[in-house]
Amino acid sequence: MEKSVTLAHGAGGEQTAELIDRVFKHHFSNPDFTGDDAAVLRIESGKLAFTTDGFIVSPYEFPGGNIGKLSICGTVNDLACMGAKPLYLSCAFVIEEGFPMDKLEEIAAAMEKTAAEAGVRIVAGDTKVAGKGQVDHIFITTTGIGRVLDGVRTSGALAQPGDCVIVTGDIGRHGCTILLQRDEFGIDADVRSDCAPLWGTVRTMLDAAKDVHVIRDATRGGVGTVLYEIAGQSHVSIRLNADSIPVDPAVKGVCGMLGLEPLYLACEGRLVIFAPQKEASVILDALHSCPYSENAAVIGTVSEEMPGKVILRTELGTETLLPRPGGELLPRIC
Amino acid sequence: MEQATLSAREIITSYGGPKLRIMEVCGTHTHEIFRLGIRRLLPGNVELISGPGCPVCVTPVGYIDEALFLALERRAVICTFGDLIRVPGTSGSLADARAKGAEIRAVYSPMDAVAFAAEHPDRAVVFLAVGFETTVPGACLAVKKAQKDGLRNFSILGSNKTMPRAYEALQGSADAFLYPGHVHAITGTGDCEAMLKKGVSGVVAGFTASELTTALASILRLSREGKPFFRNCYPRVVTAEGNIPAQKLMREVMEPCDAEWRGLGVIPGSGLALREPYWDFDARKVFSVPPIAGRSNPACRCGEVLQGKCRPCDCRVFGSGCTPQHPIGACMVSGEGACSAYYQYGGIDLWKKA
Repeated sequence: MEKSVTLAHGAGGEQTAELIDRVFKHHFSNPDFTGDDAAVLRIESGKLAFTTDGFIVSPYEFPGGNIGKLSICGTVNDLACMGAKPLYLSCAFVIEEGFPMDKLEEIAAAMEKTAAEAGVRIVAGDTKVAGKGQVDHIFITTTGIGRVLDGVRTSGALAQPGDCVIVTGDIGRHGCTILLQRDEFGIDADVRSDCAPLWGTVRTMLDAAKDVHVIRDATRGGVGTVLYEIAGQSHVSIRLNADSIPVDPAVKGVCGMLGLEPLYLACEGRLVIFAPQKEASVILDALHSCPYSENAAVIGTVSEEMPGKVILRTELGTETLLPRPGGELLPRIC
Repeated sequence: MEQATLSAREIITSYGGPKLRIMEVCGTHTHEIFRLGIRRLLPGNVELISGPGCPVCVTPVGYIDEALFLALERRAVICTFGDLIRVPGTSGSLADARAKGAEIRAVYSPMDAVAFAAEHPDRAVVFLAVGFETTVPGACLAVKKAQKDGLRNFSILGSNKTMPRAYEALQGSADAFLYPGHVHAITGTGDCEAMLKKGVSGVVAGFTASELTTALASILRLSREGKPFFRNCYPRVVTAEGNIPAQKLMREVMEPCDAEWRGLGVIPGSGLALREPYWDFDARKVFSVPPIAGRSNPACRCGEVLQGKCRPCDCRVFGSGCTPQHPIGACMVSGEGACSAYYQYGGIDLWKKA
């Protein structure tokens, strides 16, 4: 096969068939992935969760992952946040003419591996090739269907006064990794993206404690943005304890140098969880037994005094309002 | 919590002396004081005033107008620290000019602007040189590098400022100054000692929670002795003599000039301009920029805020017409500006309480 993707690979003819056979079928093969116009799936009883996400991260490879892994994690995690076991995914590629074939292979291999880990099947796909300069290397859109676990109901509108706020690991690593990869600052630091599929984590937690009110993955805008969203949706205030928020020392160092707040940096493998205080220790025990949440911690509580606001207890023990993120957040992070 | 922090904190919270007005001169101090919630430790008779130490905030409207002239009339590529892009000039900001097709680039260092000029020999590149003693050496290095490399398409639009004359102009505004640690890391403590001789009190402060509380506690303790004082509370970074190579570089490339400060007007000898051997890199000379007198929005009280004459929340447009998303005044644009800090952090009860 040719060494790079050409416009012919997207034209629907022989080269397209070859690309699909050699790359996508090779990596995505499963009984539901057929050559037909649409995948035919058996509908289970119960509630389905359905979501879609586009991925345009720049650069498309970074320490800890690539756009392929990210495109599976993003959609799988969105389903997991609704308490849904990911079942099926579709993926649509827009590839720039001239994109190296071996890189496309690497991306497909990462997707295969991540989907297998999440227990999800890729059952439909599409490939388009755009002319040089019309797209930046490669864009991927994934859409997913999941089956919501019986008895589970999560929503950003369900946070209640008295809930504890848990984060499943150290924050801001994906955003920090991408920032450093762009090399605009001349800073070297050993930071890897936290990008990870989290269905296993959510499943373990929900097996231990069904009464979970909110699960949200802290992607664009980071944990701080997610907390403001939830405070707004649920009409509650959130009190955070700065000392308990886990941040990797390298991320803290980079943020210190660039004047950034880790609370606003994107994560791709971290969940923010709201649950009744009495469930906290059960949930933490469950999370600590999972590979991507060994450092899970309670970072705050929910109250009703100032609906819509996030209040930070600082290292001095004083309280201040967490500034609401806005303006120019880092573009093309996922 | 460190023991030193705890005792400093006790000194602050238990202060029972006379009313005291402390001006934090530096924008980074303003921001950190809010971020750490330090204002909430202060007893009612201690007031913190945010001074004119944010370079973006003190940049006069006319300077933005000059940059707009270069971008729109002379079609120069403007390279600038990002904050300046949204500061309103008399009619519009650099962001508005960008929307009209002007090329405005955010850079992280003046050297990035020199590199851009080297890569684009057909474009005239102007770096907007604002900032205090902390950023002046960077601008000087950029000019020297451009000269050494024989670049004919690089220049700076200078509005650099130095602190000593501003301290003098502000000496009635507060009972004591929290001097900016970064500035004095470059200049040393001589200027503060000179202020002490004029009867003006202050301490040099660092930027961490413990450094800031220690500095404030020092002011509260020393002020009870009833005579002017000076202490260097940031000795891990600030020395008496400062950064001598940086001082030498500044003296070699720049010389004092009069400078206009937003809110404070023209302060004689408070600015820095390129010395004659470097005039080929002075954008005002290269592009024959005409004198421009900028007019700020009459509703905006940034000028008074910068002198500590009013608080951001006393301004009629604060939080309504003027927000970080749609700033009217410079102090709302910069993350270090007093208005922006009040807006972002002050929501709990701060501006209602005082």
